[in-house]
Amino acid sequence: MTRRDSFALSGSALGHVAVFALLSLSFLHAEKPVDVTPPIDVSLVSDVAMKSQSPNLTAPPAAASAPDLGQMSKAPPPIPAPEQPRVAAPTPEKKSAPAPKPADKPAPEKPKPAPKKPEKAKSAATPEKTASSKKKTEEKTAAKGPKIDKAFERSMAAIGKGSADAPRAAELGDAIIADLSSVIQRQVQPCANRLTSPGPGANEISSRLRIQMNRDGSLAARPELRGQTGITAENRRYAQRVAELAKGAFIACAPYHLPDKYYDVGGRGWKDIILTYKLPG
Amino acid sequence: MNVMLNTDAATLSPIALFLQADWVVKLVMLGLILASVWTWMIIIGFSSRMRGTNNTIRRFERDFRKSDNIDDFHRVRGDDDSPVARVFAAGVTEWRRSTGQRSIDRDGTRERLATVMGAAVAAEVDRMADRLNILATIGSVAPFVGLFGTVWGIMRAFTAIAGEQNSSLAVVAPGIAEALFATALGLFAAIPAVIAYNRFSHSINRVEARLSRFADGFHTTLSRQLEAR
Repeated sequence: MTRRDSFALSGSALGHVAVFALLSLSFLHAEKPVDVTPPIDVSLVSDVAMKSQSPNLTAPPAAASAPDLGQMSKAPPPIPAPEQPRVAAPTPEKKSAPAPKPADKPAPEKPKPAPKKPEKAKSAATPEKTASSKKKTEEKTAAKGPKIDKAFERSMAAIGKGSADAPRAAELGDAIIADLSSVIQRQVQPCANRLTSPGPGANEISSRLRIQMNRDGSLAARPELRGQTGITAENRRYAQRVAELAKGAFIACAPYHLPDKYYDVGGRGWKDIILTYKLPG
Repeated sequence: MNVMLNTDAATLSPIALFLQADWVVKLVMLGLILASVWTWMIIIGFSSRMRGTNNTIRRFERDFRKSDNIDDFHRVRGDDDSPVARVFAAGVTEWRRSTGQRSIDRDGTRERLATVMGAAVAAEVDRMADRLNILATIGSVAPFVGLFGTVWGIMRAFTAIAGEQNSSLAVVAPGIAEALFATALGLFAAIPAVIAYNRFSHSINRVEARLSRFADGFHTTLSRQLEAR
């Protein structure tokens, strides 16, 4: 083999490697988020109302008056009306409201008692209510600034629910995850309703899908199947089809409109979630 | 930049398709990729060599036309490593052998000169065309090898479909896509090989014609000198 031959061989080999590398590397795809933290695991129920019954995270605040913590914790109604949380839920825009309300507890000197009260009241409430009032508390503290935030963390630490080390992780509470899941569920429902069941028993299969999204709500990657449950001898043959249908529904209904502030909360958030999904019907 | 290998089944990434394939299909794909590497090695080596050959022939002919004394020219350029120099050296060697004797057979010398230089030209062409048959083989066989891989892969995909008792596109598609990738590789190797074979055959014909013309001209010169003796 002469020098020219070895030059030609190396040139040819390099060219092939370059061609296949170019075809293999996904330059055109969006960068996949690195999976640093386990995705949130939420479960979607198949019979969802088309109208929101949970606090609407995407809607702007409806009420001009910010509710205060004390009032909320004092007398929580036994069953909150569906609209109530939406009216009550303050968003960070509230911060720009001109003057702090007189009822606002967070005087710099005594931050402790204020947040503690709701926590105590919560413990008596039903779990569902706990979740929603906790969320409100969190949003409230987020809106109020560092002082009450610190107090809130301390109170959280006091009741052993969260630690000051990971205050951001606490922001993504169960209630918010549930809200996110219902928002996604509502947005994917039109596509899911178009699906036809592949066979009897197919809608008993729940598929766990990993959904990775970009900040604009589009899918960052194809939904990934992470296991299925509810497979019986009768519907086993539909399992793969069900998974494909579920993936297809999520692809078809993208992009999703979800609150930007929960996109990435300390590595968690709706940028990378695992949904348990069942076909409707 | 965070570049990741895309091994999702739903993409056309060659590496993903290769990794998902059956081992027979993998073997076929590997062979075809090697064939493609070999083809391009021949193409690159051959085109650079042909360019060099054409340049040396042109320069040699120019210098030959300028020089007056064949013996002097042979002393300077006779040992060049180029086809035309070897043809020239073969002619000069035969000329010296034939005219070294006391009695010279002119017709016999002319005939021998023509034969020797014709043989030198043929030898040079043979040497140049050494690897063209590989290109021809790859060009004609690679599509069939790829087709074999595809047929095997589709057979396997159908077996898998029968096992799943499910004929949805999601089950059928990946197997067929990876099977078709074998045919794609076969064409990927064969198309450049066929094009290169035709081009190189043509350029070898031209070089051969050029060498023959040079040999004829040289033969004319020698035969003229033969008459002068």
